[in-house]
Amino acid sequence: MLPRLRARAVSPAREAVIGPGEDPAVVLAAEGAPQHSHRRRVEPEPVAGHDSQWWNRDGIAMAVLAPAKHTVRMGNVITDGEIVVSGLTKHYKQVKAVDGLSFTIKPGRVTGFLGPNGAGKTTTLRMILNLVSPNAGTATIGGSRYADLAEPLRAVGAVLEASSAHKGRTGRNHLRVICAAAGLPASRADEAMELVGLTPAAKRKFKGYSLGMRQRLGIAAAMLGDPRVLILDEPANGLDPEGIRWMRDLLQKLAGEGRTILVSSHLLSEMELLADDVVIIAAGRLVAQGPVAEVMGNAGNVGTVRVRTPHPDTLLGALDGVGSSRGDDGALVLTGVTAEQVGDAALRAGVAIHELVTERPDLERVFLDLTAGKEAIR
Amino acid sequence: MRLVRSEFLKIRTTNVWWLFALGAVGLLVVAFAANALNMHFVLQPPTEAGQTMDPEQAAVLKALADPVALTSYMVTSGQYFGLMFVMLLGIITVTNEFHHQTATTTFLATPHRTSVIVAKAVAGGIFGIVLWLVTTALTVPATAIFLESEGITPVLGDSEVIRAVLLNGLAYALWALIGIGIGVLIRSQIGATITAMVVYTVGTAAVSIIVNLLVTALDWDWLANVQWAMPSLASNLMTSGANLPGQPAYWVGALVLVGWAVVTGLVGTLLTRSRDIS
Repeated sequence: MLPRLRARAVSPAREAVIGPGEDPAVVLAAEGAPQHSHRRRVEPEPVAGHDSQWWNRDGIAMAVLAPAKHTVRMGNVITDGEIVVSGLTKHYKQVKAVDGLSFTIKPGRVTGFLGPNGAGKTTTLRMILNLVSPNAGTATIGGSRYADLAEPLRAVGAVLEASSAHKGRTGRNHLRVICAAAGLPASRADEAMELVGLTPAAKRKFKGYSLGMRQRLGIAAAMLGDPRVLILDEPANGLDPEGIRWMRDLLQKLAGEGRTILVSSHLLSEMELLADDVVIIAAGRLVAQGPVAEVMGNAGNVGTVRVRTPHPDTLLGALDGVGSSRGDDGALVLTGVTAEQVGDAALRAGVAIHELVTERPDLERVFLDLTAGKEAIR
Repeated sequence: MRLVRSEFLKIRTTNVWWLFALGAVGLLVVAFAANALNMHFVLQPPTEAGQTMDPEQAAVLKALADPVALTSYMVTSGQYFGLMFVMLLGIITVTNEFHHQTATTTFLATPHRTSVIVAKAVAGGIFGIVLWLVTTALTVPATAIFLESEGITPVLGDSEVIRAVLLNGLAYALWALIGIGIGVLIRSQIGATITAMVVYTVGTAAVSIIVNLLVTALDWDWLANVQWAMPSLASNLMTSGANLPGQPAYWVGALVLVGWAVVTGLVGTLLTRSRDIS
């Protein structure tokens, strides 16, 4: 007897079980080789009969994705949705699009997959999904190759390009075609339309959809099988700020339910808000992997304090052992000190302060540092 | 089975199928009228034409005037364009996937690509057979009326006529497979449809003309048989009912057609299996 579709991790894994930085697997993976033996994983618990338990935390999803009544027959059941990429290589004529790439994506977290244009992100995702055949290496999802999954859409949902539907077919029929192929009831099409807020446009033809609506339809298609793993390629493309926020909330909720979320993007500020972990590649090779905070810390960027004052020397005199430099506009940039300490010191020294800001390194800075020198066009 | 359902839903949820069916039925009416006119003159040759006819041609006409041949000929009217539309539908079921970038979605739902091609072949074949049923349902009564009016008793119950009608159905189904093979080979929708239509119409005529010219010029009679390797002519041969003088037997046409369908289907499947989808 195989577990039902609903049977999966109940615990909100993100902070409670594997907090950033304390999960040994993430730390070790960041150093290179995936280490399975030390991994602390979120064990899925069969919760037959508790269909709506984990949905109740999710206002949108609860209403619509609530109990799928079908039981699942899977040859290869995904018990945990870990994605393991190992030595993946793809040549296109003379170009090595992906070159010996290895990384691990953990369940219960949103992982950002970053890299400059042409770094091999899309090729990698397509190799994970058996759409492009690698020259070397393997990619597995929950221990199985994609092609070996008996019910792939119930295990993995993917959003690959915005415009992937027949122009003359309605959005709803597009989803129904997929339902038929995956052996899902046609009613799932309507439920998924509801989930992404496309119900009013369900009977409109795809050619009348805006870019944002197309992206939502793609997400609906990915959610049809209520998959444990979601893979999205540049999902923010074409979404307006509200749509981006909607998607961020949705993906974080889905990750909170223990799902594996892998999102490629070039929108770094968006990734900083969304992702728990990042995998950064450039020129087809791995550059960095790990929790966002750790990757940023490893890159040697620590926070600085920016302060503007008419008497910088007096202020520096009041602060001991602080690294300082002059900013472009004459402001002081201090390291190894907090804004509170600077403020207190200024009060003691009787120095007026015109500006006092803590500056954190952002992902963009780190990304540019890490990928610098890797030629984008090969 | 669910893949066939999915493929059938793909056909049914766009406009192409009824446009093609309409086109096939419309051209069926034209083809039937033309055939009727043709046969009218076969049955009542104008006296002056009768004198100039060489004996070989007269033998063909005599064989055509046989009720069995006549009935088969009329009942399978519209085959030429019907098969073309089935082929085009087969092409479109494949090229749509690339044109609208739905191949990704399709192969995500079914990583086993051979099953997808088989499902497309079955769905296309079903479309072909439905079209065959519709055209046959129209031609049977029309043939009866036409032949009665010419003073000939139609032999719709004759085993050779029934064989011709059934083989016509097979042709309708197999042409979907040929179309799918072409669609895999030429992924561009416009490229595939135009190439296929030109080869089907102009190509068929050209091969006929070239072969006949060569036969006349070189006096190699065996060369005349080369033209039956063309799938469209083979389909026609297969459904001609009675054997006409100077033509191979009907089963040669059936073998040629099955051969084409198997080869295009296999090549299409192998290409689809190894191709990167991006």
